[in-house]
Amino acid sequence: MADIIQYPLWQLPLLILMPLGCIAAMVICLRRLAHRKEIPRGEDPDWSVPSLDDDTGATLLHRWDVRAKIVTLLVYSFAVASLEHLTPSLLAVVLSLTAMAIARVSVVRVLLRLLALSGFLGMLLVVLPFTVPMHSGDTVLLFGGIQWLSFNVRGLLLAVTIAAKAVAIALLMEPLLATAPLPVTLNGLARLGLPEMVGQMVLLSYRYVHVFLHEARRMASGMRVRGFRKRTDLYTLYAVAGFLGMLFVRSFERTERVFDAMRARGYTGRFPEQGEFRLQGRDILLASAWILAGGALIAYDRIIL
Amino acid sequence: MPSSLDHPVGADQKPSLFSINGLCYTYPNGVQALSGIDLNIDSGESIALVGQNGSGKTTLIKLLSGLLKPEKGTVRYKGESLSDPHLSRVRPEIGVLFQDPDDQLFGHTVLEDVAFGLRSQGVSQADAVPAATDALAQVSLTNMAYKPPHRLSFGQKKRAALAGLLVTQPKVLLLDEPTANLDPGQEQVFLDLLKAFPGTLVTISHDLIFLYELCDRAIVLDQGRIHRDCAFCELVSQRENLRANGLDFSFRMFVTKDGLESDTDSPDKCPRPAPSPKISPEGAPLVVLRDYAYRYPDGTSALKDVRLAIHETERVAVVGENGAGKTTLLSCLIGICRGQGEFLFDGRPVTRPVRRRLWRDVGMVFQDCADQLFCSSVAEELGFGLRQLGCSRNESRSRIQQALSLVQLDGFEDRVPLHLSGGERKRLALASVLAMKPRLLILDEPTAGLDPQGEELLLHILKDLQVTLLLVSHDIFFINELTDRTLVMHRGGIINDLPTHAFSTDERLGNLNGLSFVYRERSAAAVSLLQYEHEHKHIHQHPHIHTHRHDRITHVHRHEHAHAHRFLHRHPGDDKAHAHLTWPYHTKDHPTHEDGADDHAHKKD
Repeated sequence: MADIIQYPLWQLPLLILMPLGCIAAMVICLRRLAHRKEIPRGEDPDWSVPSLDDDTGATLLHRWDVRAKIVTLLVYSFAVASLEHLTPSLLAVVLSLTAMAIARVSVVRVLLRLLALSGFLGMLLVVLPFTVPMHSGDTVLLFGGIQWLSFNVRGLLLAVTIAAKAVAIALLMEPLLATAPLPVTLNGLARLGLPEMVGQMVLLSYRYVHVFLHEARRMASGMRVRGFRKRTDLYTLYAVAGFLGMLFVRSFERTERVFDAMRARGYTGRFPEQGEFRLQGRDILLASAWILAGGALIAYDRIIL
Repeated sequence: MPSSLDHPVGADQKPSLFSINGLCYTYPNGVQALSGIDLNIDSGESIALVGQNGSGKTTLIKLLSGLLKPEKGTVRYKGESLSDPHLSRVRPEIGVLFQDPDDQLFGHTVLEDVAFGLRSQGVSQADAVPAATDALAQVSLTNMAYKPPHRLSFGQKKRAALAGLLVTQPKVLLLDEPTANLDPGQEQVFLDLLKAFPGTLVTISHDLIFLYELCDRAIVLDQGRIHRDCAFCELVSQRENLRANGLDFSFRMFVTKDGLESDTDSPDKCPRPAPSPKISPEGAPLVVLRDYAYRYPDGTSALKDVRLAIHETERVAVVGENGAGKTTLLSCLIGICRGQGEFLFDGRPVTRPVRRRLWRDVGMVFQDCADQLFCSSVAEELGFGLRQLGCSRNESRSRIQQALSLVQLDGFEDRVPLHLSGGERKRLALASVLAMKPRLLILDEPTAGLDPQGEELLLHILKDLQVTLLLVSHDIFFINELTDRTLVMHRGGIINDLPTHAFSTDERLGNLNGLSFVYRERSAAAVSLLQYEHEHKHIHQHPHIHTHRHDRITHVHRHEHAHAHRFLHRHPGDDKAHAHLTWPYHTKDHPTHEDGADDHAHKKD
């Protein structure tokens, strides 16, 4: 039998709005923090040295062989995703925060990743308590005696557990991706079996997404300065179709020009590899330690709890 | 086909670096880009490849670099056909600099990009990096080695792209509009780099003034054929031929006090505006900015402490080095960006609702007209803004006709904007704005990418417009012709507000902001001299003392004979009638007769 606690109906909006309000406040704080950190302090970084080789780039994770790093963090992420209890999930968050601290990665970028997740996680926190099936032993809050609107505390814990696991994995993405240049990471993935063409496409997409975005913004400005505002009518659809079509044509033409430029400089279907890969004892040691930590979390989750 | 330079390959001569015979190329869509090209390019030559938009210049460059395969004919490099495996071998020797540096910088960092050419040849990372660093040092970008290319300024991107070619120590550089969209300071830097290049240069550019000091030979393409192949000086000295090829840039000739300007007889030169009196327009200004500032979302300051007033019917230029904040200022004036500070339009504060309606009174032609052309026909393009204005169908039709007529695009209603030439597209963009009858017209680099004929036509159209004008340009000639007042921007602020004439004569201002036009003025003056005071070869008769030896008897006697010699002649201008006076005989001793030609001054005709 479920443990039922009755509350007056007016407390229900409070219960929903309070966590939503908390999440909104957190999002606003994170955005402000991210924005403030983004504002340059009037001096351009020293671009004559690699950004990953300066004093923030000499960490254990930066020196870790990229193939070992990818495999280890992938396996560890699956281990975290398989956790069922809140406590080990929170421990996984702590481990991820530790990895972040060791790697000295950019807090702003981590915050931006969390911001991207916040909407999805917020929805889970609100929806799951009202939708999980009721099991015996569950604690259920009833508001104004309305049976179909029961708030299951187990659902809330489940949502928090999922959120903790998602945050733990998201926090690891920065130590995974920001501790080696993207071409090196993609070369590592290619060594692990990723088709080379996929790696090249990712690399070029990463380079040209800025150019295409810039072009799209300029074209959108070109429409706005002639009075275009998006409305819910057919003409808006027609205009947007023209915009997208022209953007596609321009992007296609640029693709051809970039390919010509690559061929003119000797491209024959392969990008040169960036750096050499050498798996050393310390790489294997670090990978083993990390996977052991994942195993320990699973053991704690499944055996002890 | 007139051809004053011929490059026959004799048995005792070295073969040409490039040898092209009977070259034809047709694109898959059926457009014939080149036909019947015969051309030899020798090592060490510096060649200007000129012609109107669509004449086949870029296609020829692609064929010279092996990016396209000839449909008919042959392209030989160092005596061998430019196809694999020879092409793969010589690829590093032929560098191609594309017009848009973003097409060429595909690396993750500048250094990685510059090293790409070497790494593609199989050079190890350890060897490629120092070579790439050296190439970056040549273009003064060592301090940007690890910067992502998309975060470089336009001028830096151009130089980084050049470094990517120099790293393989090429024998040939093929350059497509190397200085397009560069400010004069960056242009000068680029010119110096190209002048220092020891190999063969083939440069496409509409800017013949820029090419003047760089190139010694000119190849004029017209509708896919070589129309002229001559010395560069010869090309620029003959206005009739330039005009016939749509290349006559003489309308923009800007001559210095040291050049022809002081000469009142200078024929047909473009009149420079007289010094403007101090402008004191009456009434409330149309646009007022006070203590205006703007920051990009990432926090970078783009405008600061901007104070500006523009009155109705004023014509104002905004100048400044790349990155000075000019385009941001325009974006604020047209309501795309919202800064902080006081902004009044027509006496009213520009609040959020007013800003949303600014487009009704302010029109802007973008630097790249492709940014504002997105409809499937010319008529639709013009009708787009009119529809937003709420014009009736009849009124729209009438305004479209007027605007098209104004920009000389009558009859283009059903044409597809994407298929128009660069000049036509620019005029279409202008027409699409003019049809909305703006009170303030903003032009951002209107001459970018136009050939001289397109520039001249645009200039005539803009001169006749009765509208308040704000012109952002690096083109000192257009600024002089179109505006009375110039705002000089530097690092986000307006540091000077002065009559245009005062600006164009103040070298200190130009040097301060990287806007020094010294090189252009020097080249223009030299070209001007070539055009109006150029060389003829006439047969003249000379009285002459000649030594005759008859066996042991030597005697000297006077006689006459005819021969050609150099004769400087000044034209009053193409359109003005003038006669070439003939002197069948004039008296002058010729003491160096045995040594050949005798140059001497003639009386002014």
